[in-house]
Amino acid sequence: MSEITLFEARNIITMDVNRPLATHVAVREGEILAVGGEDCAQQWGTARLDRSLKHAVLMPGFVEGHAHMTAGAIWRYAYAGYHDRYDPSGVLWPGLRDIDAFIIRMRERLDELQPEMPLIGWGFDPIFLPGERLNRHHLDRISRARPVAIMFSNFHIMCVNSVALEMAGLDSTTDAEGVTKDSAGEPTGELREHASMFPVMHRLNIDFRGLNRQPDSIRAYAEVARRVGVTTATDLFSRLQDCDIDTMLQVTGQTDFMLRIVPALAAQEAPMDVAKRAMEIRKRSRDNLRLGAVKIMTDGAIQGWTARVKSPGYVGGKPNGIWNTPPERIFALVEEMHQCGIQMHIHVNGDEAAEVTLDALEAALCKHPWPSHRHVLQHCQLMGRDLYRRAAELGVCCNIFANHIWYFGDQHAAITIGEDRALRMDACRTALDVGVNIAIHSDAPVTPMAPLFTAWCAVNRKTMSERTLGAAQCISVQEALFAITMGAAYTLKLDGEIGSVETGKRADFAILGADPYEVDPMNLKDVEVLGTVFGGAVNLL
Amino acid sequence: MNDRLPLSVISGYLGAGKTTLINRVLAEKHGQRLFVLVNDFGAICIDECLLESATEDTLVLANGCVCCTMGADLFLAVGDILDRADRPDHLLIEASGIADPSRIAQVAKAEPQLAYGGITTVVDAQLLPKQLQDLRIGKQVRQQIAAADLVCISKATSSDPASEPLLDAQACAPIVNLAKVDQISPALLGLRPSNIPARYLTGHNSYISWQYSGKIKLCRAALLAKLKQRPDDILRLKGFVSNDDETAWQVQCVGPTTSIKPVGQPLATTLVAIGLSDRITEDEIERWWRR
Repeated sequence: MSEITLFEARNIITMDVNRPLATHVAVREGEILAVGGEDCAQQWGTARLDRSLKHAVLMPGFVEGHAHMTAGAIWRYAYAGYHDRYDPSGVLWPGLRDIDAFIIRMRERLDELQPEMPLIGWGFDPIFLPGERLNRHHLDRISRARPVAIMFSNFHIMCVNSVALEMAGLDSTTDAEGVTKDSAGEPTGELREHASMFPVMHRLNIDFRGLNRQPDSIRAYAEVARRVGVTTATDLFSRLQDCDIDTMLQVTGQTDFMLRIVPALAAQEAPMDVAKRAMEIRKRSRDNLRLGAVKIMTDGAIQGWTARVKSPGYVGGKPNGIWNTPPERIFALVEEMHQCGIQMHIHVNGDEAAEVTLDALEAALCKHPWPSHRHVLQHCQLMGRDLYRRAAELGVCCNIFANHIWYFGDQHAAITIGEDRALRMDACRTALDVGVNIAIHSDAPVTPMAPLFTAWCAVNRKTMSERTLGAAQCISVQEALFAITMGAAYTLKLDGEIGSVETGKRADFAILGADPYEVDPMNLKDVEVLGTVFGGAVNLL
Repeated sequence: MNDRLPLSVISGYLGAGKTTLINRVLAEKHGQRLFVLVNDFGAICIDECLLESATEDTLVLANGCVCCTMGADLFLAVGDILDRADRPDHLLIEASGIADPSRIAQVAKAEPQLAYGGITTVVDAQLLPKQLQDLRIGKQVRQQIAAADLVCISKATSSDPASEPLLDAQACAPIVNLAKVDQISPALLGLRPSNIPARYLTGHNSYISWQYSGKIKLCRAALLAKLKQRPDDILRLKGFVSNDDETAWQVQCVGPTTSIKPVGQPLATTLVAIGLSDRITEDEIERWWRR
């Protein structure tokens, strides 16, 4: 008979209505055997009591339903952002609040590199640094001898120093729109969009997506997750070539690997090819690597004015956004995936994109009944009550981008969609009221992965300026905690295995320093994460 | 640096006929080793006897052309092609049905090792009027046409003359009806008609060409001013213009777009231009150049 471990905790928040609270959980072979008090495992034989977590609060391991593996790998480069951020090894990198702090930090990071290596930074956001735009003269203060390239947080703009410009052959004779020039006709160092960055990216060998394909990057992602109590995380838009899957299987199959990864195949080719590939790779699934779903892009992002929004559009008369996949192709992809029994995660930021996608889903459902499809709309930022109703009618889940409220809420009210739609954006309350299964997410590395912070956003709807953006859409702590556990597990069709502390499920827990129900809801984001339990194995930070 | 790789983009909304155009260019006799990056192989159709080898993501043709799927990252694919020991003569990129082609073509302006080969936008004569008015996609269709250096009309029949005036209002570029030209590769790749076997020039439209070689030297500003005045119906103009005793300019004009890049060695001025014979004559081009 295998050994039974009985964990004692200060409190266990189970997310199971039959026994919402407990103090003990018994685990055998990575599976929950019993939940309750100190005698809960008695029927099952002798248990070894583990009191190492007796001062901690346990919750089901958190489930991050929308993030990207780059959240780990990107730390190979120097963080240059405004907000404080933790790296995968738990080091806090304080936000850089002015240009001098930025230059000092980047100089330090350059000194840590091998001689000759270029300095590559990420996460710089000019919105928060008023004054002169970042240019090569600033970056020349970091180095005049080695190339320096700083990627902005939106990944659409990069700034480089004079050495990098010279290396890439960009000078006054370069005549390309994205290569910004100063009044004297010399490049400023700011390169807009990937075509203009290409000469630098190619020569410095920068490949943000390719980073994910290395074993270290997969392990870094697991570290990011562990630090925030996440035991299951998606990687939503993955290339998933055979060699990538080989690497992922090898890394996630190691006994000390502590994360279940759910990648979604990037739907970038013809619908039939995508479907064929999704069905092929589904067969390679293992416990820690769940393959088979696809990710479809539709529109862009609201803060970039590229999301497709319904009337009256963007404030200030900015034109409507762009389709990344044309509506006809959305219909074709949705029908093909649906009829092949492939679950879809569909990116919809604007309400027009959500509407077209729901139309496509409805058409597919009418032709090919599939009651348990659980397709998921991802982001859902501008969906109103009408669209959430339709999602509920169709059995479509919504994974809502709650972190946006804090990071971008003020800007949405002021400069993108205007006050009234900002008040009802990321409408978790409405979605729950009309019966949609919701999850909430970070889209890491766009914003940091931290489900308790995401829950805090959905509960309090505070923006960076401390205002409450649309109090009518706040949800309760209980509802938010459900969204980051059972809600997200449901969107991944894993709610039978994870998402609650319940007999028969995987022994995946988040280990917390305080009880999220006992703290002031405004302090929910500050509840300390002490580590995770994954398949019964304790991993304290 | 006068061995720059020309990069051209083929754009057009879903179903406009991009793949048909690519199939046609691959099959035409142009003597160039093309490298074509496509979204997917679904509709690429190569005559078996022209095919040398085929793998999951690459087709190699007996005439030296290669057709390849671009994978997840277009620019990485472009980088790989630049790094190849045997660079092709011309790189053609099929933009996705909704892409803004200028966002891709921009790379040819920014990258010193690439030459701007222009944007060709294919439009479906039958569907265009409806597409332009479609509230959901109209903006992106108009953007593709406005960005074009050459507009190719596909699927036109004699009963729908409406698409040309509609296009005129949207495009800055010359417009070519694909049904009315025997060869499209000169317009797409900038070949001289002397490379075209005479038998292809019967019946339909043919191309005229103009060329100049001489000792003229022009500074950048003077060259730009000159090129700005060029006749609208020149489809392509390319070559080198001497700057001073040590340097020259590489010139690539496609439709309304002008791209000049420096060459770090002295070169005599040599230029070639082509146009369609029913739109422009060699004399008109010559008069502009001599003016």
